[in-house]
Amino acid sequence: MSLSDWAENYPALLSGLWVSIRVTALALGIGMPLGLLLALSANSPKKVLRYVTIGVVEIGRGTPALVVLQIVYFGLPTVDVTFSSFFSAAIALALTTAAYTSEILRGGLQAVPSGEVEAASALGMVNRDTLRFIVIPQGVRVAIPPLMGFAVLIFQASSLAYTIALPELMSQAYSTGSSTFRYMSILGLAGLMYAAITIPASWLTGRAERRMARHL
Amino acid sequence: MTLPATRQSVAIELDSVVKRYGDHTVLDNVSLSVREGEVVAIIGPSGAGKSTLLRCINLLERPDSGRITVAGHAVDAGSEISNKELVAHRRVAGMVFQSFNLFPHLDVLRNISLAQERVLGRSRKDADKRSKELLDRVGLADKAAQYPSRCSGGQQQRIAIARALALEPKVMLFDEPTSALDPELGLEVLAVMRELADEGMTMVVVTHEMQFARDVSDHLVVMVDGAVLEEGPPEEIFSKPGHERTRRFLRAVLER
Amino acid sequence: MGYLQAIITGIPMTLLVTVAGFTLGAIGGIPLALARRSRFAVLRIVARTVIEFLRGIPPIVWIFLIYFGIGTGAITISPLGAAIAAFGVISCAYMAEIYRGGLSAIPAGQWEASAALGMGHRDQLSKVVGPQVLRVSIPASATYAIGLLKDSSIAYTVGVQEILFNADMQAKQASDAIVPFLYAALVYVIITIPCAWAARSLDSGLRRKVAR
Ligand SMILES: Nc1ncnc2c1ncn2[C@@H]1O[C@H](COP(=O)(O)OP(=O)(O)O)[C@@H](O)[C@H]1O
Ligand SMILES: [Mg+2]
Repeated sequence: MSLSDWAENYPALLSGLWVSIRVTALALGIGMPLGLLLALSANSPKKVLRYVTIGVVEIGRGTPALVVLQIVYFGLPTVDVTFSSFFSAAIALALTTAAYTSEILRGGLQAVPSGEVEAASALGMVNRDTLRFIVIPQGVRVAIPPLMGFAVLIFQASSLAYTIALPELMSQAYSTGSSTFRYMSILGLAGLMYAAITIPASWLTGRAERRMARHL
Repeated sequence: MTLPATRQSVAIELDSVVKRYGDHTVLDNVSLSVREGEVVAIIGPSGAGKSTLLRCINLLERPDSGRITVAGHAVDAGSEISNKELVAHRRVAGMVFQSFNLFPHLDVLRNISLAQERVLGRSRKDADKRSKELLDRVGLADKAAQYPSRCSGGQQQRIAIARALALEPKVMLFDEPTSALDPELGLEVLAVMRELADEGMTMVVVTHEMQFARDVSDHLVVMVDGAVLEEGPPEEIFSKPGHERTRRFLRAVLER
Repeated sequence: MGYLQAIITGIPMTLLVTVAGFTLGAIGGIPLALARRSRFAVLRIVARTVIEFLRGIPPIVWIFLIYFGIGTGAITISPLGAAIAAFGVISCAYMAEIYRGGLSAIPAGQWEASAALGMGHRDQLSKVVGPQVLRVSIPASATYAIGLLKDSSIAYTVGVQEILFNADMQAKQASDAIVPFLYAALVYVIITIPCAWAARSLDSGLRRKVAR
């Protein structure tokens, strides 16, 4: 029974998976650079900027992604800002990404030895150049494994966009399931499709972690 | 070495420099004068403030009072200083650290070229050309494409010296450049420094290498507890220390 | 202010889902962690596969699988039951990995010392190493629990009347789609931030202790 359900319905789920992947990619593409900006200003010598940033990040991390999603999709139109469900999902997930990755990246930036920053200053390099050529490249590199781990979580979180009728994998599975009453097998297939991406991605993350550990 | 009576211009002048961390006075009214082409060695027990002194000279630390002049550029404690001035000041004072502090994510050539491009505004091509010459000069021409982690400590320190020289500094500051190295590797670094001294570079060297201080330096400064305890020709201080504290320190170092 | 009062009534349900799910995970994670490093290769592989799938499939899929998948069969299951079950099994996997990390942080000397005292493997584990693992696992568990509290908002999708569910009700009744959700965010932030700070200071405190 299950196999014929799968054979019949996998194209709909695959098209949903493709939407999930696209929305995740866009969210990461917007959210991670934003996270880097937040990380830099959370490390800023300017006290006010630092505290405001840390406050914003804490609020971003404290709010469930699902709530952010509701605010962006249902809430913003009340103040005349309207996005499609695709962009709403991308923006909401990007905001969550920015908050979380800023903490990850801040850790990475702080891991760059202060001696190197000092050497750059002693060579007459201005702070901006030191950040750009010395601190950011190394800090981001250190942060790659946890960023990969986080990307997997955001891919999973894209399933929350089911609540705003974005036809991603979860929505497709649910609507197919409710029209055929084959919830178990259809949702099971959707789960396997998620796992087919997340499990190998976690292995890659583990490998990246071990590689990084060797190089430290 | 006796210097001719003609007036030689001063490369570094410290005038009553005070540096505090909280209520701990690390430099207590230090004055020091280094002439052009002179090699000054600074010795003294750990915690004496030697590193802080060097860091004040190139303004990695700002002193709390006093005046610091490097190659004619004077900075008074507490005065506002623009970024541009700061960069100009640091350019003329090259610094070499105990822990090398090379940039591990850049290859050796790039380590030396980066600041030339960003600070001197040289093109990548010109910077790389100059970097190769400098690598050749420290005997490491074959290491250009390697990463620092693939080089021995002695090689890394020689690269760090080349990196500092790339900015064509007027003076070079060395903070215990061989302390992190096995004695053998230290020798190759000292050889490069000796060559540099012979070429007439003005140098301030914080060191525990008494042989080097004795043979290469023109002037020896003994620092204790944030102050200059005594200074003079190295030969004199080594043979006839003026203070019991100096005598104790020298004995401790030589017995190591 | 009416919004906030209505939303606050969802807090007990949010806490119930979180605490129940976490408790199931904290208990179920122990055998799973042990199986993960069992002497028997088959057991290890099974445990690892179970963990990978539990963590690799989004929580919402697990909740729906349990609520609609199992629920349409002979047995019926309440939304709350489905949410707790789903977060319970997911937590088993995450907690097993946390315990595994804790286990590898225990110095080999602890095993050796207890073996030298003549303890069997069972006693070493339950009397010496186990308690230490639980202790070093506290900070990571606390961080996980906070994440779980936020994830529990997903239970709203099957109709559990927790914080977000109540915010959504308010939004629909008042046709104000922004303020109720902002209040919901505020409530989550107010609950999680102090917990997160506590977990962080616990973490650095324990780290210092273990490092010594
Ligand atoms: N950033 C700092 N903050 C507080 N104290 C410092 C700092 N840097 C150095 N010190 C203190 O200043 C004193 C002199 O240090 P340093 O110049 O490194 O001595 P030396 O190089 O002669 O060993 C030491 O007591 C040290 O603890
Ligand atoms: Mg020192």
